Amino acid sequence: MTLFVDPELLRLMLTMAAPLVLAGLGELIMERSGLLNVGVEGMMAVAAACAFLTMLKTGSLTVAAATAVVAGIALALLLALYAVALASSQLTVGLSIFVLGTGLASLLYRVVIGVTTVTPTTRTLPSLAIPGLAGLPFFGTVLFTQNALVYLALLLVPALAGFFVLTPLGLRLRAAGENPRALDTVGVDVRALRYGAAAAGGALIGLAGAYLPLAVTGAYSDGMIGGRGWLSLMVVIFGRWQPGWALVGAVLFAYTEALQFKLALVTKAIPPQVLLMLPYVVAIVVLVRLYRGAEPPRALGQPYRRESRV
Amino acid sequence: MTALARRRLADATKYVVAAAVATVAGALVIALMGGNVLSAYRSFLWSSLGTAGGFAQTLNKMCPLLLGGLAVGMARRAGYFNIGVDGQIYAGAIAATGAALALERATTPALAVLVVAVGVIGGGLFAAIPGALRAWWSVNEIFVTVMLNFVAAFLTEYLTTGPWNDVMAGEAITRLIPDAATLPMLSVRAGSHVGIFIALAMAGVVWLLIERTRWGFEVRALGDNARAARVAGIPTARITFAVLIASGALAGLAGAIEVTALHHRLILGLTPGYGVMAILIAVLGQSQPAGILVVSFAMAVLLVGSDSLQRSIGLPASAALVFQALIVLSVLFVDARRAVRPS
Amino acid sequence: MSAPARLRMEAIDKRFGATIALDHAELELGAGELHALLGENGAGKTTLMNVLSGLYRADGGRVWIDGRPVDIHEPRDAIRHRIGMVHQHFELIGALSALENVIVGDEGGGLQLRRDRQARAVAELARRFGFELDLRARVASLSMADRQKVEIVKAIYRGVDVLILDEPTTVLTPGEADVLLGTLRTMAAQGLSVVFISHKIAEVLGHSDRVTVMRAGRTVATVRTSATGERELVEMMIGERLVRTAAPPPRAADDTALLRVEDVNVAGRGAAASVDGARFSVGRGEVVGLAGVDGNGQRELVEAIVGLRRTTAGRIEVGGRDVTSAAVGERLARGLTYIPEDRMGDGVMPSLSVAENLVVGLHRFVMHGGFAYRPAAIRARAVAPIADYKIPADAATPVGVLSGGNIQKVLVARALAIAGHGPTKLVVAHNPTRGLDVRTTEFVSGCLVGVTRAGGGVLLVSSDLDELMQLSHRLLVIFRGRIVADIRAGEFDAYRIGRLMTGGSI
Repeated sequence: MTLFVDPELLRLMLTMAAPLVLAGLGELIMERSGLLNVGVEGMMAVAAACAFLTMLKTGSLTVAAATAVVAGIALALLLALYAVALASSQLTVGLSIFVLGTGLASLLYRVVIGVTTVTPTTRTLPSLAIPGLAGLPFFGTVLFTQNALVYLALLLVPALAGFFVLTPLGLRLRAAGENPRALDTVGVDVRALRYGAAAAGGALIGLAGAYLPLAVTGAYSDGMIGGRGWLSLMVVIFGRWQPGWALVGAVLFAYTEALQFKLALVTKAIPPQVLLMLPYVVAIVVLVRLYRGAEPPRALGQPYRRESRV
Repeated sequence: MTALARRRLADATKYVVAAAVATVAGALVIALMGGNVLSAYRSFLWSSLGTAGGFAQTLNKMCPLLLGGLAVGMARRAGYFNIGVDGQIYAGAIAATGAALALERATTPALAVLVVAVGVIGGGLFAAIPGALRAWWSVNEIFVTVMLNFVAAFLTEYLTTGPWNDVMAGEAITRLIPDAATLPMLSVRAGSHVGIFIALAMAGVVWLLIERTRWGFEVRALGDNARAARVAGIPTARITFAVLIASGALAGLAGAIEVTALHHRLILGLTPGYGVMAILIAVLGQSQPAGILVVSFAMAVLLVGSDSLQRSIGLPASAALVFQALIVLSVLFVDARRAVRPS
Repeated sequence: MSAPARLRMEAIDKRFGATIALDHAELELGAGELHALLGENGAGKTTLMNVLSGLYRADGGRVWIDGRPVDIHEPRDAIRHRIGMVHQHFELIGALSALENVIVGDEGGGLQLRRDRQARAVAELARRFGFELDLRARVASLSMADRQKVEIVKAIYRGVDVLILDEPTTVLTPGEADVLLGTLRTMAAQGLSVVFISHKIAEVLGHSDRVTVMRAGRTVATVRTSATGERELVEMMIGERLVRTAAPPPRAADDTALLRVEDVNVAGRGAAASVDGARFSVGRGEVVGLAGVDGNGQRELVEAIVGLRRTTAGRIEVGGRDVTSAAVGERLARGLTYIPEDRMGDGVMPSLSVAENLVVGLHRFVMHGGFAYRPAAIRARAVAPIADYKIPADAATPVGVLSGGNIQKVLVARALAIAGHGPTKLVVAHNPTRGLDVRTTEFVSGCLVGVTRAGGGVLLVSSDLDELMQLSHRLLVIFRGRIVADIRAGEFDAYRIGRLMTGGSI
């Protein structure tokens, strides 16, 4: 029984939650502005490849993370270009970016690394113990000995929540996702808002992609994103498009992941693949329970054309 | 020139532009990898179309691509995105392998047909989950189908490394299925199997279903405007469920054919992303069987050709995915520009 | 009130693809003037005002303000030139508060949203024009009249010299409309130039200084209201004298109820039911009208009758048969058919052809056998309706390219065909003539009346009180989900009905 609330398990949970939180918040920003981005998985893949390869070549975690952020922004702006300027179907473009990203990530890795017998690895982000707080009995291990990106992710949650409610820009962003025409008629540049949201969201998604090689495995492999990009879409719905609840959703999924990991170590009775399936099945179940009553931003996924006949 | 002819011409130029983009991008990559562009393209086309063996490979690859494209395309007509074709291919393959191994000692002459049928049902049942969730709980099928892809892949990994594993053959490979359960070859020398004919037949079946039956009419109405379809008395929940099952069944058929005609066993990696490619095939083919047919052929050529490039200049297989995505994006671009400027 | 022109729009052209929406249209406004822009639906009034407010870009022509030419390319330019517009379909954000809707885009600078300070400023502004507003309320929970107030305050908040209102009284009861028009008069008296778009002649004659009439994208004339009358305006609007022909034929006493609604409840958001204990019937040869302000449960009631929404209590009978839990298809089979309010959203399949749109809904009754979808047969079926309803397209044209009026004709043709097939002929029509020009409106009204002549019944749900009073044998009023009145044709009184619509008593 104590296995389920073991501090090491919970610590792992938060570590695994970070990429979901970062990608979830990034997607949330985009969706609040009206952009539906189903290409997250591909964006994270490219970001992961870029981060790892840069890390390999430069040895600098910061530069590697920065490259990933740039990659995320680039792909997000590509989506925004199609969605805003060309008014294309956001689902189709998003799926294309998913495929593009997945293929590009693998291509980049192969082109740079070539064929090797030994998988290259790098060092990872060290955990940062917060002086003083790290000594606390339970929370010390769970919360205060994480790596820098985990802290960043957790801090971003209230920051983003505050942004949406307390700042004029946040108000405009919310309006853009609900009724872009209303915003247009008072003279606000809806396009610029959406591009900005895409850039901000893309940066976070890129960072989320970089997290896995830089903070967890120290290596890159095709498919390492493992559906986390898709899960971030779910995190946004779970959170009813609010940062606080999105965090809860991300932590929930990460818990399942960490639990599955620990169970695999502890018991041989259950085949490892069945355990690996667990987070995905849980995700479906959670989505089904949640779906009723989730109210997306009204203009989500719809291209805004100023001159369309009303 | 009539308006219709003008539209057809515009459509055609769209694809020419896309093909041009892909060719140029390909040339760039080949040049970057240090290869000779002209000879690379020549060996690309030769290896996929020029030799009997190569052409056989192209046909073999076209089979799951065509079936996958039909699966995604059919769901698209109803307005849905079936991103789970890979998972449904695995589901069909698992069901078929399971049936074949269970009936190892059976001597029915139609064992192959039975096994393939089981595969079809397997794929259909697997897609019934997102189908039911979408039909009656309005749960978006994109996410569910993607999650199930992982579930099916893990299940395959478990079966191929565990209970069905062929200890002699290797890591993630099952035992061979009985000969009676395999599908015949078209040409033993070249290596092509009958799957392509099944796939072509299914293209015709799908066309008839969608364009010439009352059910197909309802599917098309649903895909065009779901709310209006309800108002018109169309039982949208039932149709949604049926369409997604049919979509999964087509994918399951692809999986069953891969097992019974090509590999004669279940292997992990049975589908190297056919499901993902199927999405792009359906988009480029505009969800019509005829278009899907043409595009899946082109895609198969691309795959086999890039295989040879992989051997000669080390171009990884993932490049094919990149090219496909670029083609779709350029088509979308041209589409959007055309919409802005009325003809 | 001859003042120098504050605003002049000159020779404005606008096309959408091949359609010419504005053809050298003109408008001239003085300071302190209450000006009406009159024309039937589709005349170009909204388009012209959209050009003025920067939402559309003109293809030709000039705008002059205080004698100087100005360029208005986007809404921001219009705001800069102190032009504000209240649109017909409110551009509000339901999820945000009234205050947030007013200030978004001009929040008062700074990194932090200063709600309190802005709230005081906005409340002051509202008071100046006699508006009472709860600024903290979520707009989605406000009544239509209150939402309109938010829209007006939103326009004024940015400082305007010219205020445009597009069909402002459509969503108001007669009483509320009077109040609004009075407010507009006050604003004009304070120096604002106020333009309101309308297609209602009585309103224009009663509440404007001058009126500009538009027809087919052109400005026909601008006249002083005191110097003109109804016949002249009608003639300018539609180019010929019009006699309203559609009227309900007298009804022989007949007890057969084609539709019976008994104590029906429909769930709403939260605790309150959206329909509460509705009880009425529609008899053979009868047009029963349902009047009510949008949002009082008529949509839910209609959807429940048609089968798109579940009831939580009560009984619905069509032709004597209980259909309370029947699916939409079953009800269609009985002859209960629906002309929805949102023709693009709930009515047609835009990419399918005219022929296919005419047959959908009917298809289950006419497509039999194996490969039952035969394109030639379906196209052949469409020939008669296309001719009868004068739809300017051929059977294979995708419906989405047709104009709103012609799309409505397709829906009416389909509904009548379905009604004709079943044992009972019952048409439920929700705002069937909204946004249609006069000729098409007459046509559609005629079709509905024709249903009653053939022994069928019509439930006409409309927010156009004039239409209801013209066509109905009996008129029901719905308020907050309850049917609060059932009035016979001879006793229609617009103001009394208007009060009932807003919860007043007789």
